Amino acid sequence: MTASALAQDIAETEQAMPNQGGRANPFLLVPITLFFVLLGIAVLRSPSLMSSFGLGSAVIVATPLILATYALMATVISGRGTVDLSIGPLIGFINVTLIQLNAQGIIGSPISIFAYAIAAGAAYQLIFALIVIYVRVQPIIVSLSGYLALSGINLVILPRPGGFAPQFMADWGIGTSIFSPPFWILVAATLAWLLFTRTAFYTHLRLMGSDERAAYTSGVPIYVVRIGAHLISGAFAGLAAISFTALISSGDPSQGTTYTLIAVTALVLGGASLAGGRAGVFGSFLGAVNLYLITFGLATFNFGAVQSFVVDLAYGVILVASLLLTLIIPFIQRHIKNFSPLLYFVVLGVLALGVILHATNDYDRRARNIDPSDAAVVAPLEPIAREAMYVLPLETASLSASDKELRQAAGPLIAGALLLIALALLLRLAISQTDRRSIGAVFTIVVAALVLFGAYLMTQDGWQANETNQVEDRQ
Amino acid sequence: MTTTTLPKLGLPASVAGLVLGLILAAIGVVFGFIQGLSVPVIILTGIATLGSFVWLWRFVIGQFISSDKREDGPSEAVLAWRQYRAAVFGVIAALLIFLILSLTVEGFFNVWNIISLLILLTIVGLTKSLGRHFEQNRSAFIGIMVLSGLFSIGAMNIEGFASGINIKSMLLFAAFLGIAAVGQTLVALLGGLDLSIPFIIGASNVGLLYLISLGVPPWLAAIIVLLIGAGLGVINGILSYRLQGQALIVTLGTGFAISGGVQIITSIGSAYGGNVFATVPSWLSNLAAMNGSTLGLPIPPAIAIWLLIAILLIAALKLTAAGRYLYALGVNRTSANRVMISEFAYWVSAYAISGFFAALTGGLLLGWSGGGFIGVGDQYLFLTLAAVVVGGTSLLGGQGGYGFTVIGVLVLQVLSSFLIGIGLSFEWQQFIFGLLILPMVALYARSPHIRTQI
Repeated sequence: MTASALAQDIAETEQAMPNQGGRANPFLLVPITLFFVLLGIAVLRSPSLMSSFGLGSAVIVATPLILATYALMATVISGRGTVDLSIGPLIGFINVTLIQLNAQGIIGSPISIFAYAIAAGAAYQLIFALIVIYVRVQPIIVSLSGYLALSGINLVILPRPGGFAPQFMADWGIGTSIFSPPFWILVAATLAWLLFTRTAFYTHLRLMGSDERAAYTSGVPIYVVRIGAHLISGAFAGLAAISFTALISSGDPSQGTTYTLIAVTALVLGGASLAGGRAGVFGSFLGAVNLYLITFGLATFNFGAVQSFVVDLAYGVILVASLLLTLIIPFIQRHIKNFSPLLYFVVLGVLALGVILHATNDYDRRARNIDPSDAAVVAPLEPIAREAMYVLPLETASLSASDKELRQAAGPLIAGALLLIALALLLRLAISQTDRRSIGAVFTIVVAALVLFGAYLMTQDGWQANETNQVEDRQ
Repeated sequence: MTTTTLPKLGLPASVAGLVLGLILAAIGVVFGFIQGLSVPVIILTGIATLGSFVWLWRFVIGQFISSDKREDGPSEAVLAWRQYRAAVFGVIAALLIFLILSLTVEGFFNVWNIISLLILLTIVGLTKSLGRHFEQNRSAFIGIMVLSGLFSIGAMNIEGFASGINIKSMLLFAAFLGIAAVGQTLVALLGGLDLSIPFIIGASNVGLLYLISLGVPPWLAAIIVLLIGAGLGVINGILSYRLQGQALIVTLGTGFAISGGVQIITSIGSAYGGNVFATVPSWLSNLAAMNGSTLGLPIPPAIAIWLLIAILLIAALKLTAAGRYLYALGVNRTSANRVMISEFAYWVSAYAISGFFAALTGGLLLGWSGGGFIGVGDQYLFLTLAAVVVGGTSLLGGQGGYGFTVIGVLVLQVLSSFLIGIGLSFEWQQFIFGLLILPMVALYARSPHIRTQI
């Protein structure tokens, strides 16, 4: 009897706290949705994004931004409104000092350069943390002060853009393959953060960010935790500076400064709370990639003389709109009880893959029907505003014949496999949700039906395409 | 007898004062010998330095020593050390920097620089000691101290710093910054931030010229631009009302959209790709030009406008019910709501005023420069924030006022003129500017230790 009462108790507590462990973060809803919408638009506008070259240059260009966002994330979690406005000038500072030290021949080997960049970032952030802790000035003021001081000293160190990146970095910025060194830096940084979230230190950090007094009274060493958060942020800033140096393969005293506003925006787009306590690597990654995709997508349109202004406008509007969307999240949360960001990501990912396959295959067919050289050219790129400078002009990659054949053959296979996996996942989820009082099950079934329908449409298209191709071949 | 009015100094405090005075005097003597001055001058200077410092120390510290002696607890020396260690560290740091500069820079060691150093030390001493006695207006007191110190240092070291024309130009630039910072102050009093100010400045700068080039009468164009500015502020306020924690980003987003949108509008049908050409009417140039006149007086009207705005705003914040409600909302939303103060109305109005004054700044800058440029407001992105913060208005809301911002604006302006005056290039100026904001804020805006907040 007592045992059953206990079991009932446990069941009740479990029911009362369904979302324990912070797994379900509904604030990821907006970045995920935005990511796939933007990805779809970008791919439809310019299928060459999905080539090895397109993805490679995307990785090169987006990596500094993503890492800068990570650097901000580490300090933002620590609370007190620690939005490090000086992150952009700090990246610029490491960039110009790296170029100058390299030119003097003081550092040159990869190890010394990595060590210098990370140490410089960490040292700056250590001073930052010590000032926040002991002088007890609001962090935003410290960062403002750092912003002005660093952007001034950058111009002193390197008055105008120039110089050469270290020798071993020379081919990093070309971006002909996805698996370039910046990609591995990005992967390593992401994995390092994910490992870090497993530690007790991370729990302390989040506790301190949400409620510093509670953390202090429960014996969390808040000074140590704050310093640690800043050191991590500094290391990320160093990595961001290295990939930034690889991207521009020279020194630039003022370009790095623009990363401040972009990275703050990316962080907020990724669902982080500037008040502290809530931020994640997944959201920050998506936020930064979303910003990249916004600029990329707009760059494929040709607005002529007003191109950069349209980029500004769209940038601002999307930013505000996605912030307003976060307002309806509590409402959504009430109706979809067990929202899983991962599942949502998978479902939308399947849909987006459908769009990608459709776009690439479809455009190939058109390319053969029309003049190939004409169709392979994406809309020419106008010079972009300096806010959008982190998009490199994309060169178009024309697919070789063997590539096309391979894609033709592998496309349906991959699509079929993904379809089966997605359907299995969705069905499993629908079954698991049938005993709960939520519309989750219905939602998943509707999504599954949509996926099936989309796949059907795609195969129709594909077969027709194949038939017309065969007819053309025969002729 | 002065000893009756001043309580006797404790032993550690007098020893510390004596030691510091000796260090100061020794520095003076050493440099006197290095520069080969005559011996009597050196000795006299050394004695004078020692004497004046010890007297100052005695006077300043003596004012605030409580006469009642505690019997228990840590000893007197420890207590004195705890109370004054920050000031002592500051003084030692200043002396070290002075020493290093004297050793490295040729001809740095002269009378004027020593007096400058003494002024700086006095400011630090006074703010550490006297400042304790101002509960409410401490930051204003410190701001005025810093301002007068900076100004006198500038006047001593730079030829023509205190001349009428230089003061006029400083006031003119201060007026631009001051008008732009009106909105930032009001918004900060509510606990928000408005980063769209520089973009609205740029947009109104270009937009006003565009309207004039279309043939709209200039006065009508100015009114339209100001109204649009206020309207944009309203939009800012409505959008950010539910997102108050993220007001920083919302206003940044609307700022981007505004500046992009205005440029699209002005470049449609224009052959110059966003560049607008028109003649600025003479009354508008007179408003903001250096040689403008107000009612016959040789003062640019922009300064007079700023003065008027400042007086009206300070009075409104202090005396009207609406002004007090603004503070009430900034301190505690919940209790303000309980007494029927509409948070929404005040939030939106603060942003509307911010947009209005940003547009006004843009218009005035058009009169000053005579040509439209979208990036004219870029430097105000952080300067308005810095002016508010240096003045002493808390970014968390409910504390401060426009009077503080006026002091902050003047401090920033005098500082930047001073740095220009001693011949620093723009980069060094910015660097030193950044480094100086921190100690200036640290003088009064330190938050309490976490253990006192529980």
